Amino acid sequence: MSAADIELVDVRKVYRKGRNAISALDGLSLHVASGSFVVIMGPSGSGKSTLLHLVGGLDAPTAGTVRVGDAQLEQMSERGLTAWRSRHVGFIFQMYYLVPVLTAAQNIELPLLLFHMTGKERRQRVRTALDVVGLSDRMDHRPSQLSGGEEQRVAIARAIVTDPDVILADEPTGDLDARTSEEILSLLSLLHAQYGKTIVMVTHDPRGAAHGQRVVHLDKGILDRDVQNEAHATTAAAPK
Amino acid sequence: MTLSYVLMQNLRRNPLRTALTGVAFALPMAIFVLAISTVVMLTKTAARIEQQLRLAVHHKAGITAFMPEGMRRKIEDLDPNRQRLLAVCAMRWFGGRIPDTPNPLMSLACDVDTFPTVYQDVPMTAAEVEQWQHERRAAVVGDGAANQYGWTPGSRVVLDSTIPPYQRLEFIVVKIIPNASPPNAFYLRRDYLLESLQARGLTGTGCNIFWVKCRSAAALRTLQKDIDALFANSPDETRSEDENAFIAGFIEALGDIPGLARVMATVVVFIIALVAGNTMMMSFRERIRELAVFKAIGFPSSRVFLIVLSESLLLALFGSLVGIALGVGFLLVPWHNPHSESISAPEVSWIAVLGSLAIGLTVGLVAGLWPAYQAVRLRTTDALRQVV
Repeated sequence: MSAADIELVDVRKVYRKGRNAISALDGLSLHVASGSFVVIMGPSGSGKSTLLHLVGGLDAPTAGTVRVGDAQLEQMSERGLTAWRSRHVGFIFQMYYLVPVLTAAQNIELPLLLFHMTGKERRQRVRTALDVVGLSDRMDHRPSQLSGGEEQRVAIARAIVTDPDVILADEPTGDLDARTSEEILSLLSLLHAQYGKTIVMVTHDPRGAAHGQRVVHLDKGILDRDVQNEAHATTAAAPK
Repeated sequence: MTLSYVLMQNLRRNPLRTALTGVAFALPMAIFVLAISTVVMLTKTAARIEQQLRLAVHHKAGITAFMPEGMRRKIEDLDPNRQRLLAVCAMRWFGGRIPDTPNPLMSLACDVDTFPTVYQDVPMTAAEVEQWQHERRAAVVGDGAANQYGWTPGSRVVLDSTIPPYQRLEFIVVKIIPNASPPNAFYLRRDYLLESLQARGLTGTGCNIFWVKCRSAAALRTLQKDIDALFANSPDETRSEDENAFIAGFIEALGDIPGLARVMATVVVFIIALVAGNTMMMSFRERIRELAVFKAIGFPSSRVFLIVLSESLLLALFGSLVGIALGVGFLLVPWHNPHSESISAPEVSWIAVLGSLAIGLTVGLVAGLWPAYQAVRLRTTDALRQVV
């Protein structure tokens, strides 16, 4: 398995709220090849975000196995998962979640504080990430001085600054207008195509699906459909 | 950028709330510093006075009434073997002031022979005692007055008396009393004063007070009774007062200050704990998703715990330092009139300063512990799921 292969085998996830048990994933098996761009779609409550959280090591499956590269996530401690996440996964959220009192550059630098590197190295990485997302001229602006699209670009830069193997995006265009959404999706496509990142993106937006090589539809916690995007057929990874 | 920079920036997230919380810390801390400094001062004063074992004997009619100087010998004869008393020093109010200045110094004419014995809390070297005894114009002055008028040992000082017959006398400073109480004390020789009066044809030799230096607290109590009994039914009936009792009575008249200070300290700690705890919980709740993102991008729980706790400690440190600065500043500013002091003004107490800092940081720690613990327990997925 290559560094960013993702493999879920018979994964179940049950949330308990009092006496009620809610099944979010019900025996899902899925393989995402390294370097692919997979879009996860489905109605609310279908288990999209749960899938993303399991792959990102933010949550543990009730049953089944989740493997990302060589890491068997369900067997790792919380401390181990946290350390693994900081090096191998970049998260992008719908609401960006930037620290409002820090500048764009400082927000991007945040994950690097966990690494043993000099300030000069950190600044160099931040500049590179800003160049990739096209925000070099806005590096000293605070989130309140940026548009929604620019904030999401900063969030994307924060996700890629550690050079992770996998980028997990949870509704990255959910709070943006159509034109800005397209810019963000194009940027994610660029990260995939140019930098070879494995991208798993949850979205409700059909336009987002067009950017993925493969669209996985979930419904009630199980795989409903797994569709190859014809436009990317030459580079798409085959579903398991 | 470092994590400490992030912490400092977080305090600027809501400047008004940070400022108000800081003030909520600072004002009680300032009051705490003032209260504890006052208690420390009173305690020191009481301890210092108690050590002196001095009895003040004045006319029953009041301190302004004169008593014959011969009463000193009668008091001394109560204890011819000197088993209860060490010495008796007669004093007469001079009421001197620097010419053309408004405020009189606390100037008292004292018996030259017994002054060093009765006032052992005025530490005089053998040379200074000799100067006092051989220089008729000798004056022993408090450091407050010396600093104010630039006097040093050897300085010539002219004072005008503010009471009849208003004579002007010249003095030579032989001793400056460090940490004098009161700071504007000015002790001159009574024989010098009497000679100046005689030179003007005045023969009055009366005294306003006899200070009796006792050997022990028990001796002081018996002498107090014996002296008043000795002069009972005479033209010069006396009222003897223990110096400590007098000051203690004065302090008690102000109320149970140490008790009040303890209550105040408890209330202060309780209030700022509530304020700080509330602020930290509000701050935590506002940033719950942001902290979840911190965890998502790889910040371990221990680091998140420290971030939240450190913010609380920083806020507490900021508020405490401002409060201490306010309290110390108030104590250092010469807000009091040195000429009107009967006891020392409160001084900056390191006990109060360090105590305030310790209390502030403890409150910050306690206030931050719960939110920090909540941050550790925070399930990233639950926090993020609130939106996505």
